[in-house]
Amino acid sequence: MDPSEVEFLAEKEVVKIIPNFSLDKIYLIGGDLGPFNPGLPVDVPVWLALNLKQRQKCRIVPPEWMDVEKLEEIRELERKEDTFTPVPSPYYMELTKLLLNHASDNIPKADEIRTLVKDIWDTRIAKLRLSADSFISQQEAHAKLDNLTLMEINTTRSFLLDTLNCMYKLRSNLQPGASGGKAQDHH
Amino acid sequence: METHSYFPVPPGVGMEENFLSLDDILLSHERLPSRTECTFPRLGFLEKSSDSRDIQEGTKMEMPLFLAKGLYERKRRVVSVELPKVYKEGWRTVFNADPTVVDLHKMGPYYYGLGSQLLHFDSPENPEIAQAVLQTFIGRFRRTMDSSQNAYNEDTSALVERLDYLERALFRAGQSGLNSFQNWERGRASTITASSLVLNYRKRKITDLQP
Repeated sequence: MDPSEVEFLAEKEVVKIIPNFSLDKIYLIGGDLGPFNPGLPVDVPVWLALNLKQRQKCRIVPPEWMDVEKLEEIRELERKEDTFTPVPSPYYMELTKLLLNHASDNIPKADEIRTLVKDIWDTRIAKLRLSADSFISQQEAHAKLDNLTLMEINTTRSFLLDTLNCMYKLRSNLQPGASGGKAQDHH
Repeated sequence: METHSYFPVPPGVGMEENFLSLDDILLSHERLPSRTECTFPRLGFLEKSSDSRDIQEGTKMEMPLFLAKGLYERKRRVVSVELPKVYKEGWRTVFNADPTVVDLHKMGPYYYGLGSQLLHFDSPENPEIAQAVLQTFIGRFRRTMDSSQNAYNEDTSALVERLDYLERALFRAGQSGLNSFQNWERGRASTITASSLVLNYRKRKITDLQP
């Protein structure tokens, strides 16, 4: 999967905006949006929010978790725990990038938030690598990884799957006579 | 995203070879030290070291893997295959001690593939070879992973130099994951395009459906 495809999925997340125009309810396949009234907050998907923002027709209200104090808390927890902690949004990385790139004037302390999210991401990726390593070195057959987001899985997917595939085949060499490596095919 | 004009077939890695894999084809040309167990009449021209017409019984020679596999039979002993030195006891101890220091490209470069293929020849050391090959892979995994996921935008030839071909393929997989993420983060991701299937799909007209 390409990161831009993951980003595409993230654009379906809902975000609050404050429009400065008025428009009746609009009916889309994905659901009804609006009505839009100047000054009244309304929930819309991210793709629409960014589009309106680029045309300067709205102000984006950052999601609750996009806040320096809350993110600092998450970062500390993430560093303390050995396992993956629950993230505020399954698309936290993508949303941070999208909102900060297009609407940084609506988000207080945008630079700090960017650094914090990057810190959280780095901590989690390091953890992911560590657990992948112990997974391989202990030759485990299955593992449970809670709270991982799609983008995180996506960065290491092909590498990890190929490695596990190779390891499975090398391991089936240990039992002579068994026709190894035929049954398994990822993708 | 890396695109190929064709879909490369991955190597079989285990005891089964992938017929269409280029790596496995090259692997089948690796030379194995072997010894003839009967006389091969009139094939002396294949053996450059002697002038005789036949290849005598007990001649030691190097044979490509595909030939050795074809000639080897459990019941009728035609050739016997010796282990290449990387798979022998001495080197196995080295791999056991620290697999990461070995230059597998120089020793292989198809260390894992050849190691698995050697299991076709009944050798009393087969279980140890399989174990050593697996442990080497596991021992070197961390290094392959770390180097492939950290080297961004730099010359990787020094990192790749000592890797076996199998590990190089893994290294490339890791690099493509890292690169595509970094490109996305820097806003250089490719634009998503609709699938060609969808683009060529015309809406059905009601007249087409009702004859």
